[in-house]
Amino acid sequence: MSAFASRHPIWSLIVFVAAAALLWAIFAAWPPGMVAWAGSKKIFLNAFFNGITLGGLYFLVASGFTLIFGLMRNVNLAHGSLYMLGGYVGYEVSALTGYWLLSFVAAFIVVGALGVLLQLFVFQRMEGQDLRQTLVTIGISIVLADLMLWIWGGNFYQILAPGWLSGPVKLPLVTAVKSNGEAVYLTYPVVRLAVFGAAVVLGVAVWLALNKTRIGMLIRAGVDDRDMLSATGVRIQRVFILVFAFGAGLAGVAGVVGGTFQSIAPGEDIRFLLASLVVVIVGGMGSIPGAALGALIIGLSEQLGSVYFPTYAVVLTFLIMVVVLAFRPQGLLASGRT
Amino acid sequence: MSAVATRSIAERLSSAGTANALELRGVTKLFGALAALTDISLSVSPGERRAVLGSNGAGKTTLFNCITGDFLPTSGTIRLFGEDVTRFPAHERIRRGLRRTYQISQLFPGLSVLDNVYLACCGVSRSRFSFIRPRRDDALLATAEQLTEAVHLRDVRDIKVAVLSYGQQRQLEIALALAGAPRFVLFDEPAAGLSPTERRELVEILTNLPGHMGFIIIEHDMDVALRVAERVTMMHNGRIFKEGLPEEIEADPEVQALYLGGGHA
Amino acid sequence: MTAVSAKSPRLTATTQAPARPATGEIPGLYWVVGALLVLAPLFCSHFVLLQILGWAMILGMIALSLMFLAGYGGMVSLVQLTIAGIAGYLTAILGTSAVSGISLNWPWWLAVPVAMLVAVVFGTLVGALAVRTAGIYTIMITLAIAAAFFYFVQQNYAVFNGFTGFNNLIPPVFLGVDWHNPIAFYYLILSCAALAYLAVLYVARTPFGLALQGVRDNARRMAALGFSVTAHRIAAYSVASLIAAVAGVLLVWLNAQVSPGTVAVGPAIDILIIAVVGGIGHPIGAFIGALIYVILRTFALDALVAVGLSGERFQLLIGLGFLIIVFGSPDGLLGLWTKLQNRSQRGILPDREVSR
Repeated sequence: MSAFASRHPIWSLIVFVAAAALLWAIFAAWPPGMVAWAGSKKIFLNAFFNGITLGGLYFLVASGFTLIFGLMRNVNLAHGSLYMLGGYVGYEVSALTGYWLLSFVAAFIVVGALGVLLQLFVFQRMEGQDLRQTLVTIGISIVLADLMLWIWGGNFYQILAPGWLSGPVKLPLVTAVKSNGEAVYLTYPVVRLAVFGAAVVLGVAVWLALNKTRIGMLIRAGVDDRDMLSATGVRIQRVFILVFAFGAGLAGVAGVVGGTFQSIAPGEDIRFLLASLVVVIVGGMGSIPGAALGALIIGLSEQLGSVYFPTYAVVLTFLIMVVVLAFRPQGLLASGRT
Repeated sequence: MSAVATRSIAERLSSAGTANALELRGVTKLFGALAALTDISLSVSPGERRAVLGSNGAGKTTLFNCITGDFLPTSGTIRLFGEDVTRFPAHERIRRGLRRTYQISQLFPGLSVLDNVYLACCGVSRSRFSFIRPRRDDALLATAEQLTEAVHLRDVRDIKVAVLSYGQQRQLEIALALAGAPRFVLFDEPAAGLSPTERRELVEILTNLPGHMGFIIIEHDMDVALRVAERVTMMHNGRIFKEGLPEEIEADPEVQALYLGGGHA
Repeated sequence: MTAVSAKSPRLTATTQAPARPATGEIPGLYWVVGALLVLAPLFCSHFVLLQILGWAMILGMIALSLMFLAGYGGMVSLVQLTIAGIAGYLTAILGTSAVSGISLNWPWWLAVPVAMLVAVVFGTLVGALAVRTAGIYTIMITLAIAAAFFYFVQQNYAVFNGFTGFNNLIPPVFLGVDWHNPIAFYYLILSCAALAYLAVLYVARTPFGLALQGVRDNARRMAALGFSVTAHRIAAYSVASLIAAVAGVLLVWLNAQVSPGTVAVGPAIDILIIAVVGGIGHPIGAFIGALIYVILRTFALDALVAVGLSGERFQLLIGLGFLIIVFGSPDGLLGLWTKLQNRSQRGILPDREVSR
């Protein structure tokens, strides 16, 4: 950190000032002039929290995508379909048993198992042909999308959160001060905060697993140099299957999360595939911290954008991607390779 | 680049006539903590034929990659015919008359032999962006045909490169480097993997190159290297360790201990 | 510079025979297909002319622009339909449509070229971004751009008229011909498609086309021969964009409308499917793929209903068919065809790079 500060003093200053301004905007009570210029603080805080929690959801989807991409050089364009399948499976399980948490386990297992099948019967047969593998994932996503439409139809499904997670919670953040001096606090849905917390825990866990365990070292070695990994006698196929299963399982879990705080319907697969693509392009391909940073940036820009310049929210996301591509084509947090 | 842009064209031209074909000053290349090249200074005059010898890992190919612009050196300057090209991209150096061959053939497997050579001829001509097909009497096409013949590939000129034999691919590799009237060529182990007959042909091709065309050759085969080179530079562990006439290098006891007698082929 | 003092080929007449007599022997099948297409109005209904053949040729042109990038340049771009869509949208915005509040009513001879120019500039910019990374990343980046454009036009009402888009777009009257007439419009499409096809065949053997294939095979060596790899890749995007832009204008005239659905992600991927199913190794593959796609699209519904399935299962059919092709023959139907041909005789396609 200090090395970065000494090498890029101007950038460090900009980042520092932006962070300070953000902290002020979150914690301080806004003066009337500010409210007149930027709207009420409640709207800002809501958009901000929505952005961060949406970023958590994006991270869940994109981390699986980036893991699979990093190791296998396979742009899995069926990743959105895996997300959606997870959502439907989670809905069925929670509707059937009434246990919300069970739906996560079910989605992880079912979608992860599908990932194993895909790796065993499809990708293993096309070893090293990245383009062909990617084309196959397009075919699979079309087939899966239509099969799911066949089974679940075009309706919206929402997974109900359990009682202890539903309803709002009062946060110690002042949104406004009433004329009698009483402070108004921000209330926010618990479930979204819980999901964000879960995404953080999961992200840290994946990062630790990749950096501190033997299997994680193997995977990272494989990302850097696949030939070397197979030359050391590691059975790389097993590592591939494991990573594909885990990445797919994550997409499934994300589907349950998405189904709980948004909804599951046809078309969501493409939406989340696109989100994963943009997150990974911005953050850096194959990097977990990159996926986290990218997800946060995209989630925030989408939500803040939709509040402050509604028709151009998509363009904002897109512009971020273009700027990153133009100045740092390998992504913000990727190693030097492209 | 900005420093290059601000220099006057007249200055660049005036420096070109008398200067060395290639001049390296204090070139160092680090890969992380590993020094692949350390403080290399090397001058090759126009038309001179130089051999660079050294064991595997001595930094010879890295030296070539720095000269052609595949790698940027960590420090030091590279001058080509007097012009500072240290920060130039590879294609700009090529357009100034530099060429190279690769240790492992770098060809276009999806195209025919003649198309490979024709492309090489187009690379330094203004027609490289042409959307007009070459005519039968096109000058570049004629040059390409002559070159194909010169490296004994006339009979296979319409065959896709992917199906050529190893020796033929090596010959094509040389043809690509000789296209477009080069002034200075870097040969990276051109004899590797060739049969004795093919080696003789290679020596013949190299010795018959026009007199103004200088080159550096990296070669493990002493026979080839010492027969075509006028001067020899020895490299060891990324440094230049000896420089002299072929017979001096051959007679040098240190060199003999390290390479010639050291069981090195 | 001691570059070979070649006579600039630009000065030479374009009518001269090419260096190698590659197009010398045009196979009989080509004459037959060509004649059938020219004579089609004699024995085809207007529906077949426009909704089958015309639509297939337009989609074929868009797929051809993808084939040019992917087959010769090794860059798989999913943004070609978007480029066509931009040309189409701008024809509607600058020209005449039923949305009188937005359309500027420029004459067609101004609106159409400007629309195509903007589309080409856009395609070139996308190319400049996409070539900064290599290989499989191109798919990701172009897909993201295509999706962003779709969401943008869907939400933007001021310029793109949002979800509804534009309708009542018809081909103009020029050269004394009413191009809205089905037969005239069919010939317009046919000549554009034939021109695009022949142009791609021609360019493939020019220095530029060869250099593009060289970049595909070995970018590093191309730089070591004096080529600017980036410039060639970006220029390839410009060429492909021009083909897509022409197709885009024809497409909105054919449908008489353009809306976000025209440039959605699904149709953008369909273009890739068309090119891959037909075969990415030769320009004709794009048109073969497009014809199959259009026929399926038009008749699969009835066929599916006939076997007792809902007509909505069309996507399933397309997806499975695509999977079978990708698994079975990486070179598409064209690859299968050449395999069969090689077994019996020589290849039938002109300019096909078969080892001789």
